[in-house]
Amino acid sequence: MPRPTSFGKDTGLQLRMTFTLFLLGLVYVVLIVALLGAGVNGATVGIIAVGLALFQLFGSDKLALRAMGAREVTPAEAPELHAMIDRLCVQADLPKPKVAVADTRMPNAFALGRSPKNATVCATTGIMELLSPAELEGVMAHELSHVANRDVLVMTLASFFATIAAYIVQFGFFFGGGSSDDDDNPSVLVLFLVSIGVYIVSFFLMQALSRYREFAADRGAAIITGRPSALASALQKISMGMDRIPQRDLRATSELSAFYIFPPGAGKALGNLFSTHPPMEKRIEALARLERQLQGVPA
Amino acid sequence: MGLFDILTGKRKLKAPAESRLFAMTTAAVTLEMSLELKSSGKAAIVFQPLETADFTGIVRDMEEVLRGTGDDTGTQVDKTDDSFGYRWMVLSDEDFEDLVVGINVVSQALQDGGYGERVLCAVFSFRDAGDKPVYWIYNYKRGSYYPFVPAEGAQRRDSERELRLKAQIGHELPVEPELERWFPLWGIPI
Repeated sequence: MPRPTSFGKDTGLQLRMTFTLFLLGLVYVVLIVALLGAGVNGATVGIIAVGLALFQLFGSDKLALRAMGAREVTPAEAPELHAMIDRLCVQADLPKPKVAVADTRMPNAFALGRSPKNATVCATTGIMELLSPAELEGVMAHELSHVANRDVLVMTLASFFATIAAYIVQFGFFFGGGSSDDDDNPSVLVLFLVSIGVYIVSFFLMQALSRYREFAADRGAAIITGRPSALASALQKISMGMDRIPQRDLRATSELSAFYIFPPGAGKALGNLFSTHPPMEKRIEALARLERQLQGVPA
Repeated sequence: MGLFDILTGKRKLKAPAESRLFAMTTAAVTLEMSLELKSSGKAAIVFQPLETADFTGIVRDMEEVLRGTGDDTGTQVDKTDDSFGYRWMVLSDEDFEDLVVGINVVSQALQDGGYGERVLCAVFSFRDAGDKPVYWIYNYKRGSYYPFVPAEGAQRRDSERELRLKAQIGHELPVEPELERWFPLWGIPI
């Protein structure tokens, strides 16, 4: 009997993600052209943005962990979690990431780090209490998929030009409100307008990209564990747990929330365009599709 | 993983590397002769049992084959599921070569069924002169072995001993070069 070879295949997702990346690139090309047209200011802004991006890539891990109240744990402190991640790493062929635990009742998990060798995965004590071992395994596999897909790196690079655009907009307000310098340069105004456009468009594209990468991480988790339904049930439990427990515990930045297994405050209907995570039903539906592929049942 | 795979988040489980499992057959002789490590007469292979009809069918057939050949070679087969949901096929045989062959039957059956990537590892169990357990773990995805020596106390391992073993075995076994991939397996039942 042939094995279900279609398991894990999702051409639609691949296409949407590639298309979003393409659109992002296109928007950024427009920005670069505008930058070149306006001349000087661009270089300075660029240097600032590069510095910020580098900081985000190399320095933000520890900061983010501290902000979450998470700390790294040794195998002796969290034997079950370590053993689980060990096995998943063998399956996913990844080097072992650092393992951290955040002491909060909020059930959640996230991954940090620019590359698999510098990665940290973190689970909250709440999620470890809430989920069964198989469900927790699904969640940790989701985080390891983020690591394997280098999502921190991809999202930081993808947001690079959006950051530049944001700075130009801010600078623009500065200069626009102040005195008139030398001569009224029309290209500065054009750059300002283009930057606003780039900023807005790239914002929505980034949100879309983030959602696709969530789907990809869900799929990655299902492939690693071979149990899509376990992750689906974990998501359901977490979303219910999220509603039960007050949200004020959480002081996370939106930057961080992109790599949560489940975004804080997602119980509220935010409208699809604005959210970094796809709606729960869609994710569970996608996992159900994976389970059908796995079982060899035609969709 | 290529750049495009990273950009599109495409993931596929790595298939097993070219099998170097049988390197253990000759290495075991060295282990016993020069390092005083004797096989405990047991070996195990660990895999993720998928809850699908196709997979359970393959596992059932594989077990039958294993028990069939076991009648000739004297290999005994037991299976347990651990708390992480992985299945352990534990083989017992005083003849070490039969153990390696038996392990290969299991992994080959899963690979032929198209589920090679579900195999986690194989574990060969040894005892040193003081009757302490020493394990050699074979990582299928990387086609390499690494030593694992549990120490006194919970979740502790004797890294010094492991590194020494690596040096002592030299080139007789393909040893995993990246130390961060020497994943421990706690509570090995053999």
